[in-house]
Amino acid sequence: MAQVPMQTIHRDPQLFYWILFPITIVMILTGMLRHYATVLMASDPKKLDQKAMREQRALLHGMNLRANYHVLSKPSFTARRDALITAFESGAYLKDPDSRGQPPPNPMSDPNAMEGMMGMMKNQMAMIIPNTLIMSWINAFFSGYVIMKLPFPLTIKFKSMLQAGVATRDMDPRWMSSISWYFLCIFGLQSVFNFLLGSENAANQMAQQMNQIGPQAGQMFGPGVDPNKQFLAEAENLAVIEHHSVLDGVEQRLLEGIKM
Amino acid sequence: MPSEQELQISPIVQESVMHNSRTLYNLQSLTASLFGVSAGILGLESYSGFLFYLVFSLLTAVLVYVLRVAPTSLAGGKPPLDTSRYFRSPFEFWTGGLMNGLAGYILTWTLFYGLVRA
Repeated sequence: MAQVPMQTIHRDPQLFYWILFPITIVMILTGMLRHYATVLMASDPKKLDQKAMREQRALLHGMNLRANYHVLSKPSFTARRDALITAFESGAYLKDPDSRGQPPPNPMSDPNAMEGMMGMMKNQMAMIIPNTLIMSWINAFFSGYVIMKLPFPLTIKFKSMLQAGVATRDMDPRWMSSISWYFLCIFGLQSVFNFLLGSENAANQMAQQMNQIGPQAGQMFGPGVDPNKQFLAEAENLAVIEHHSVLDGVEQRLLEGIKM
Repeated sequence: MPSEQELQISPIVQESVMHNSRTLYNLQSLTASLFGVSAGILGLESYSGFLFYLVFSLLTAVLVYVLRVAPTSLAGGKPPLDTSRYFRSPFEFWTGGLMNGLAGYILTWTLFYGLVRA
């Protein structure tokens, strides 16, 4: 089988100094800037008044009891459960017990809710603005250059993506233009940021989007959720627990453990 | 998989498992970038490059097992090649590096291949 002769393109080595390195350095520095911007813009958690705090903590108390009931002995568990269920069902821990049964207020009108949304918007902005800027910067200055060759072959389908702005029909799709180096940087620089900024950095937008999909603890007490309904549901959850303790049969297990 | 009662008797501390996974992830992404550098300098292309990555990331996992996991895990009565003492799933330990580091590997591989060869 005849080998297809390898294409060689003679490029000015100055391309590396004036295109490749600037793009890479700018990408790394933007990542670091984004990290520190996120750190600086992070708003402190808002102070709650005593009643609201009591409402949240009481709910958490119920949840913790439900998750850790096995470390309690039976009488102490039943005592706690009975106390919590009575309190939950009578609404003793509610922030304003008069508003039971009324529909929750519109979340848009609550100033606290607006603040949370503003925080989310700020994070989104910190991601979108640098990306748009860098994309247009690369498009304006560096479009139309072929700078590198990928070390692995690709099908012809990738040509339009990798060689955007280079209108040469017969060129091997392995040659890539500056914009595709930018995309490689977006995906591959996470390890560099891990190394530079520690593993909990906010430099990479991909990782951030992953985090946003994950569950958020703050959502539980979010606006528009009726606390009375949460309390009732929690009381029901507590009521159905079938109690058993880790100390059940512990003598048996101990004797098995020290058997010769 | 241990039953619910066994888990309650000897609980797994969530924070420690997360710390282990994160340490492993950092190691994997850093070594993947370094493998990319060496593959680029060696001038590997297409299949040999990916094979290089496969072999070396598996080798990293084996080394981590032999040097860090095995001494206490074997002493704790676990069978060989069992990582459940420190990690949630064996799949994550043995092959997680392939996915975590691939993007970083391709980046540095391309960069150094371009710098050295082309």
